[in-house]
Amino acid sequence: MKLLVVEDDPDLRRQLVTALGSNNYTVEESADGEEALYMGEEYPYDLAIVDLGLPKVSGIDVIKGWRAAGKEFPIIILTARGDWQDKVEGLEAGADDYLVKPFHMEELTARLNALLRRAAGHSKPVLEFGPIKIDTTGRVVYRHDEAVKLTSYEYRTFEYLVLNAGKTISKSELTEHLYHQDFDRDSNVLEVFVRRLRQKLDPNQDLDPITTVRGLGYRFALSASKDSE
Amino acid sequence: MNVRSPLHSLQGRLLIASVLILPIVLLIAGLALSNAYNYSVENAVKDRLQLQVYLLLGAVELKEDHIIFPERLQEPRYEQVNSGLYAAIHDKNGKLLWRSLSSILLDDPKLSEVISLGGITTGEPLFEHKPDAGIFSFQLRIIWENKGEEHSFLFTVMESDELVTRDITAYEQQLSIWLGIIFLVALLAQTFILSWGLTPLRRLARDLKAIESGEADKLGGHYPDEVQPVTENLNELIESERKQRERYRNTLGDLAHSLKTPLAVMRGAELEEHELHTYQTLVAEQVERMDQIVQYQLTRAVKSHHKPLGKSVNVTPIINRMLSALGKVYRNKAVLTDVDLADDLLFHGDERDLMEVLGNIMENAFKYGNSRVKVSGTHINGELKLSICDDGPGVTPDMRQVILQRGERLDTSIQGQGIGLSVATDIISCYQGAIEVKDSPLGGTCFVIRFPD
Repeated sequence: MKLLVVEDDPDLRRQLVTALGSNNYTVEESADGEEALYMGEEYPYDLAIVDLGLPKVSGIDVIKGWRAAGKEFPIIILTARGDWQDKVEGLEAGADDYLVKPFHMEELTARLNALLRRAAGHSKPVLEFGPIKIDTTGRVVYRHDEAVKLTSYEYRTFEYLVLNAGKTISKSELTEHLYHQDFDRDSNVLEVFVRRLRQKLDPNQDLDPITTVRGLGYRFALSASKDSE
Repeated sequence: MNVRSPLHSLQGRLLIASVLILPIVLLIAGLALSNAYNYSVENAVKDRLQLQVYLLLGAVELKEDHIIFPERLQEPRYEQVNSGLYAAIHDKNGKLLWRSLSSILLDDPKLSEVISLGGITTGEPLFEHKPDAGIFSFQLRIIWENKGEEHSFLFTVMESDELVTRDITAYEQQLSIWLGIIFLVALLAQTFILSWGLTPLRRLARDLKAIESGEADKLGGHYPDEVQPVTENLNELIESERKQRERYRNTLGDLAHSLKTPLAVMRGAELEEHELHTYQTLVAEQVERMDQIVQYQLTRAVKSHHKPLGKSVNVTPIINRMLSALGKVYRNKAVLTDVDLADDLLFHGDERDLMEVLGNIMENAFKYGNSRVKVSGTHINGELKLSICDDGPGVTPDMRQVILQRGERLDTSIQGQGIGLSVATDIISCYQGAIEVKDSPLGGTCFVIRFPD
């Protein structure tokens, strides 16, 4: 999952990038509204965190600009003043949630997890697909209720596929959403991840959770258990 | 020095208008008076000359076809050269039959210029003033019948206009002097009246200056009825501004004072021996405390604290905006909202204040309610009543008062709770309103807010 953090205060921005990065998100950052507007329109983000008081172009206008350009990724606004007029205006401009500064990092990750899940059509934090269970809050994957040990990138790859269950995801889309822009797109590291994921999640090869669609990409093929919708 | 145009002052404007308009009015009046006087003077001359013509008519006799004059005429001025009164008689062909002795020195061209021989109908007298010749003339053509023959004669009496002109000139001089005096007196009177009439405004300016310089804190004394509403409103404004300033000062004081305690705790902790974990906990606790203080004091200082003059906000669109915003944030809960608002609900106050109150209370309903929130509003008995009900776990009666007070948190696991309700309570009390926590018909909590008009 690739996030965009738009915050002009360098310390807070660094903290956000570090904290979200250590939570297995790919994070890109911007310090002003003008650049943020451009980045949001040009690159495929899964979610953006936008401070309302930005230099050059205000946070509200950045959000309006993205929405006007047809961008539908979820947006969380950060506000320092915290009065309701600000919150309502931000939400009306197209944001999906708000946080008042100062906030706890846990609060932010909980909110953005919920938004990412919601964007994928799930309302509960734990998604179940037969024997495989993924806890998007704890970022843990279970197989027959036993935690599967995944590396950060393996988890990211798997989560992206799960949240887009049923859809065929091309390698380039996966790369775009998992890595920074300067990642070497020709490497076969994705194939390695997918192979390892298959080994870890389906050691007996009776589930086939990730299918390869030849020439197109990968698809998470299991369907959700009823109560995890 | 900054020279101000007189147009910047009411008195200057009125005086300039008077200086421009008064002369025109006086000029018209002077012309009317002078015309009337001229008319009456000329009328008197006409009457006099007519009388002279009649006297001449009575004095002459017609014999055969010529006129016989008595030895002496009654009017001595005819006998005196250049006396200013002249007479002449012409026949129908314009031949001079007789002229008075007084006219001897008048040269003929002048006479013939004055006397219009033709164009005078019999029996219709002609009175004329010839300013170039300096003469009034009265002429009458008559026909005398003698032995079946008609003889036409033109009688002309002339008078020099010298006296009359002098008279009129003297009159006009007098008139000008008096009109000039009237102009000056009127201007003086107006200056005085304006200066007297505008005194309250000058006093107002002086009093405001005194307030500005800190010598007074409100507009005192009694002003005229026209100015009184202005001063009352100004006093209200000054008072609210003063209160606001005081509030800012208090808030800043409170803020500085209350922030220093957690800062002192943290500074103290620097010197103590702490495990990293306990140090982190301590910093986190103090940051939380400072955050609450800043939030509370900021909201308290910013909100308007009094009813803005005549301003009112339509409640329904604000509630709908809040509902759609909160519906977005709490989309996962799929809260069913039920809105029951009377038409034209008005809140007499600041929109931000209303949003703050509704936002804090409605968010609680969304946060703690299970799946339903009902917002209703009515306007009865001169008050706006809004109730926000949810179907959550509810609040026990002994906790109801507590949750409205500052900083109380029933559920510390959800951020932002506690401060919001106390801010709402604070704003409501500034509008002399009331807030109550009740049982909800939906099973949870109902917040009922009342704002008097």
